[in-house]
Amino acid sequence: MVENSLSVLLSRLDFAWITSMHILYPPLTIGLSLLLFISEWRWVRTNEEHWYRLTRFFEKLFIINFGAGVATGVTMEMAFGILYGPFSQAAGPFFGNILGYETITAFMYEAGFVGLMIFGWGKIGKRMHLFSTFNVMLSSSLSAMWILVANSWMQTPTGVTLKHGIFVVDNWFKAILNPDFLLAFPHMWIAALELALFFVAGISAWFMLKNRHAALFQRSLKYSLVSLLIVAPLQIYLGDGLGRVVAQAQPAALAAMEGHYHTYNPNGTVNSGWHVIAWPNDAAGKNDFAITLPHVLSLLETHTLNGKVTGLDQFKPADRPPVLLPFYAFRIMVAIGFFLFFVALWGAYLALRGRLTASNALSHSGFLRVLVFSSFLPYAAVWTGWWTREIARQPWVVYGLMRTSEGVSKMSVGAEIIWLIGFMLFEIIVWAGAWYFFAKVVRKGPDMDSPVITEGHEHLGHLEPPHEEDSPEYVRPAY
Amino acid sequence: METLSTIQNELSFIWWIALGLSFMLYIILDGADLGAGIFSLFVQDEDERGAIMASMAGTWDANETWLVVAGGIIFGSFPLVYGSAFHYLMIPLMFALLGIMMRAVALEFRVHSSSSQHFWDWGFGLGSLVATFFAGVALGATLQGFPLTDTASGIPTYTGSGLRFISAFSLWTGVAAVVAASLAGGLYLRARFERRCQVYDHAGHWVAGSFWLALAAVVITLVWSWVAFPWAAAKWTGPHWWVWWLLGAVIVFAAIKMRLASAQRHDMRAMLWLSATIVLMWGGMMATLYPWLVPGTWTLYDGANPSNSLVAFTLAVGGFIPVMLMYNWYQFWVFRARINKLAAYAH
Repeated sequence: MVENSLSVLLSRLDFAWITSMHILYPPLTIGLSLLLFISEWRWVRTNEEHWYRLTRFFEKLFIINFGAGVATGVTMEMAFGILYGPFSQAAGPFFGNILGYETITAFMYEAGFVGLMIFGWGKIGKRMHLFSTFNVMLSSSLSAMWILVANSWMQTPTGVTLKHGIFVVDNWFKAILNPDFLLAFPHMWIAALELALFFVAGISAWFMLKNRHAALFQRSLKYSLVSLLIVAPLQIYLGDGLGRVVAQAQPAALAAMEGHYHTYNPNGTVNSGWHVIAWPNDAAGKNDFAITLPHVLSLLETHTLNGKVTGLDQFKPADRPPVLLPFYAFRIMVAIGFFLFFVALWGAYLALRGRLTASNALSHSGFLRVLVFSSFLPYAAVWTGWWTREIARQPWVVYGLMRTSEGVSKMSVGAEIIWLIGFMLFEIIVWAGAWYFFAKVVRKGPDMDSPVITEGHEHLGHLEPPHEEDSPEYVRPAY
Repeated sequence: METLSTIQNELSFIWWIALGLSFMLYIILDGADLGAGIFSLFVQDEDERGAIMASMAGTWDANETWLVVAGGIIFGSFPLVYGSAFHYLMIPLMFALLGIMMRAVALEFRVHSSSSQHFWDWGFGLGSLVATFFAGVALGATLQGFPLTDTASGIPTYTGSGLRFISAFSLWTGVAAVVAASLAGGLYLRARFERRCQVYDHAGHWVAGSFWLALAAVVITLVWSWVAFPWAAAKWTGPHWWVWWLLGAVIVFAAIKMRLASAQRHDMRAMLWLSATIVLMWGGMMATLYPWLVPGTWTLYDGANPSNSLVAFTLAVGGFIPVMLMYNWYQFWVFRARINKLAAYAH
């Protein structure tokens, strides 16, 4: 079968690798920039040093993450043209335009202000700096919005018709505000926020555990835990909504996510059971083994006890996605979502009752350890969520309109393998580097000694000399 | 394929100009950063290498995004070219990308490193060299054009070998790009460092050497193009030959002014003359190419977005380009002062 030729599989694997390694960074950029803006804003309003120290500390982590995100993201844009040439040509009128909007109205915008935000301390006024942080926050969210427009359109391609092998846009509003986008974007954005909140909470908890700068980090810990009390359940709610969009718009994808092979039971009744665990067997078209809760699938997708949920048997074998990966990826994501909700409840309870202050937090070291562990889980949830989305859409690259095998470039297997190995090596270095330097910056802790920046006291463009270095040859640049 | 309406023809032309502008800005802005990276390979002092990287800390990201913007414009306005040319250029683009990414990561990670500093220094220098060379190769390979094959859906695309880009000409344009970037990097460092820094003097010698090399590279490239490409020869020695020769004279004038300004230590002025030279040469190249986007393969009208999308694209992003230029300018203003080698320790 052409669909599963080695060349198509390698193109998919290449792209899956590039996407998976890139998506490790933007969610933190998006979420953390919002948190940085809030803390910097608090500092500008209240003049409390705590907020300043927190902002500067977490900004260091932000920079490392941002650099890795840009480095891995530039590849993505080019990879469309290289690995998916026919798709890029056909989908260019919509998909290419949207990516064009993304680079111009969001990516460029962000890159312009991130330099000011990171290196502008003391060189530009306080308010101008806060404005830069605000712009970084806004543009990174805008960037996520455009990317989700493009990706959601591949899931639910409305507003276009395929003419002479090219997608012609009939209705821009319908194409941009496609059914999947309306929930997928909030779901992704809240995921970014949840990830950043757990990142901040986890690092704060680590400092509390080590009893270092506890007075400083009790603040970030408390605020992030209380915010999570809202964010974590909201994410579950949005996820449920998105699941129902998938059920309506992409029944085959939903059936794969749920390992739902048969629409009806052998006795003719609607098959409404939900598999907690199963071992899907695509070749046989059934689960070899399953633990099933009756009625739950109907409850989840139709919110009725015996509603019909289309199974994979309603689709030609050539139109069925693989089941095993989406099935388990989806379950891992959902399990993490609920676990994080539970951690958020527990944490908010402790924080609101004043049990997580600098003086008494160590008596809750069990919770702090859980929190440190939990800060890695959102990454796993983002990965598994994205895999669910992309694998369950197969064998389509644009759902129902263009097959993946029609969209891939006609490349030699050798070229694809070289491409894959090159980026694997590189992106592993980037990832290892990012985490190595995260760890290093965290171990070093916040800088509590250097003077708080005052209004534009430095010469424009001047780079600060080292504080510890007292070199006689150094003279302040006379600009 | 449906014929484009007049308005779409005009919009295609406008987006072709915008594409040329993005590439040109990228070459001017990041060309200097890349050249400084190549220079850093020859710098012995660790702090000086660090200072070179620190000098672009606040701006490299914005400089580099013009390349991404150019990519976005090709994808959005010329999707037929995007899908076929990127496939043809797969290998040089892959190396250029790896170089660019290595550089980006080295720039971000170096300040936090201690034991691995050497590794990031090398990554920065080699990444700059590799990115420049392969970007040059990709440009040369594009000028040669590539064959298109009709696919089942009726959209012509490239289905040939991944190694077709290799030719004596494309390898040469890679070398020429490295030479040109070296000159730009030297001028940039002269403008960025304090005059009593060692880097300032070294960059001075570097500029003196690479100026003559760059001049030779440009002449060789022009003669080679004239011999190899009928579309170039037709314009340069056709009926309007004097326009092109006049342009050539202006370019030579700007180049001499650049060299003189640099020798007299008017560093900012030298950079501006270099920019003027690039603008004139790039404009000359685009005019020579017109109406081809990829000579012999895609004209800008055939490769344009074949639907109603260009109007939407223009409305949505056309106004944004001047805004981007404005905040880019503000950024350079903020980070404009000269630095010295102690900047390696900054932040």
